[in-house]
Amino acid sequence: MPKQRIPLVDTDIHERVQYEELLQYLDEPFKHYITNCHWIQEKHMPYTQPSVAGVDRADAVVPDGRPAGSDLAFMQEQLLDDIGHEFGILTGALDPSPSSMHGWYEMAAALASAYNDWQIDKWLDQDERLYGSVHVAAQDRDEAVKEIERVGDHPKMVQVLLPIDDIMWGDPYYHPIFEAAEKHDLMIGMHHNEPPVYYGKWPRYFIEWHTLIPTAHMKQVTNMIFNGVFDKFPNLGLMMIEGGFTFIPHLMWKMDQQFRDLRHEVPWLKRKPSDIMKDQVRFCTQPSEELNKKDFMSLIDQMGTDEMICFATDYPHWDYDSPHRALPNLDPELKQKIYSENARNFYPKIPKSGGEIT
Amino acid sequence: MREQVVCKTTDIQPGQMMESVFGKQDVLVCRTPDGDFYAFRNQCTHQGAPLHKGMMCGATTEQSEPGEYQYCHRGEIIRCPWHGREFDIKNDGRMLANPDKKLPSFKVRVENENVIVYK
Repeated sequence: MPKQRIPLVDTDIHERVQYEELLQYLDEPFKHYITNCHWIQEKHMPYTQPSVAGVDRADAVVPDGRPAGSDLAFMQEQLLDDIGHEFGILTGALDPSPSSMHGWYEMAAALASAYNDWQIDKWLDQDERLYGSVHVAAQDRDEAVKEIERVGDHPKMVQVLLPIDDIMWGDPYYHPIFEAAEKHDLMIGMHHNEPPVYYGKWPRYFIEWHTLIPTAHMKQVTNMIFNGVFDKFPNLGLMMIEGGFTFIPHLMWKMDQQFRDLRHEVPWLKRKPSDIMKDQVRFCTQPSEELNKKDFMSLIDQMGTDEMICFATDYPHWDYDSPHRALPNLDPELKQKIYSENARNFYPKIPKSGGEIT
Repeated sequence: MREQVVCKTTDIQPGQMMESVFGKQDVLVCRTPDGDFYAFRNQCTHQGAPLHKGMMCGATTEQSEPGEYQYCHRGEIIRCPWHGREFDIKNDGRMLANPDKKLPSFKVRVENENVIVYK
């Protein structure tokens, strides 16, 4: 039976680079360090991902043997054409992740620039459905701003990507990054990398770490809101990528209650935290948690808005969410919002007009 | 009775699996290490992933104690290529983490070198 096609705006697709592809976009001495000194990015996680094929869907490996996510034609066949994507937002692979390097920021900044040029060249310019994320080495704030200035006005760059790692980005020191992003109509996308989310260390098992990823997302949202980022930059939005969405009501209630008691400490907040979230923070649905329709609708009701969550597949990673199966069967109007309109309304550079879900 | 040859016995070595069709349905034909054949619907009950892209392997068992793995059922477990869910081939395709769920299965018999699925 042919599958129903879904005109989706997919808010998390991982394209993957291989180091040798970046060389043509890198200057010396950085090229030398990869080619001759065999540099690879530091790794932290003590486990493998205990699925069938590590971080990827086992069926997403490119037929010629290259890693999942590394070939546009295969991604088109397996994802974009098969599902019926209208638009997809590339969020990069986890390696290299310049902002997650814990030293040698010159290399991180060079990698970010090379990655952006590669992304534009090999993906954004090759498929009109694909939009991109500006990679920066955000540990070096001033270099990050320069990179945003360099590529931020590209018509298909829609957000600046910051990792959820060991830096809390709401700190005023990093506000120039947000100023530059806002100037170029870029949102902020935050995606966890391989951080210790567990009191500065790793839990014993991968399943613990993977279960607790939403807590790291909650920390960043709380930090960004109470540090006053959203009133200072009223046109800025924050997309939380791959933390799920079932914690949203708790976080809204908790922050509002704390704000009523402790506002004195953060007088720069002009709105209550839940209103800031409703206005300027969005959450990707993936990884969804198999809610039935009753529970899903109850959650939407608790959020007080159906405009905060945006569907994401996380292709080609193993915890991919199928647009056909991950969420309960929703009413057409709500489905249109979650699968398409909410993301369109969030990202200024994505075209507003779209098809109906049939 | 509806029945159909889905493959030859020589098409699948013990410990391997392949996709086939039974009527209009996609079927996963598995051969466990002891040489027996089994057939299931080739679609994960969770989000519909094609199971033949996963793997046949063993499983860490519930007899394991904290900090000490027990591993058995080698070659008798289907793992989904996406979310890694495990289904026990010799226990009617039941999911290890939730035995109330199972893969829809088909009856199988072998005649000469033909693997036949039937209802």
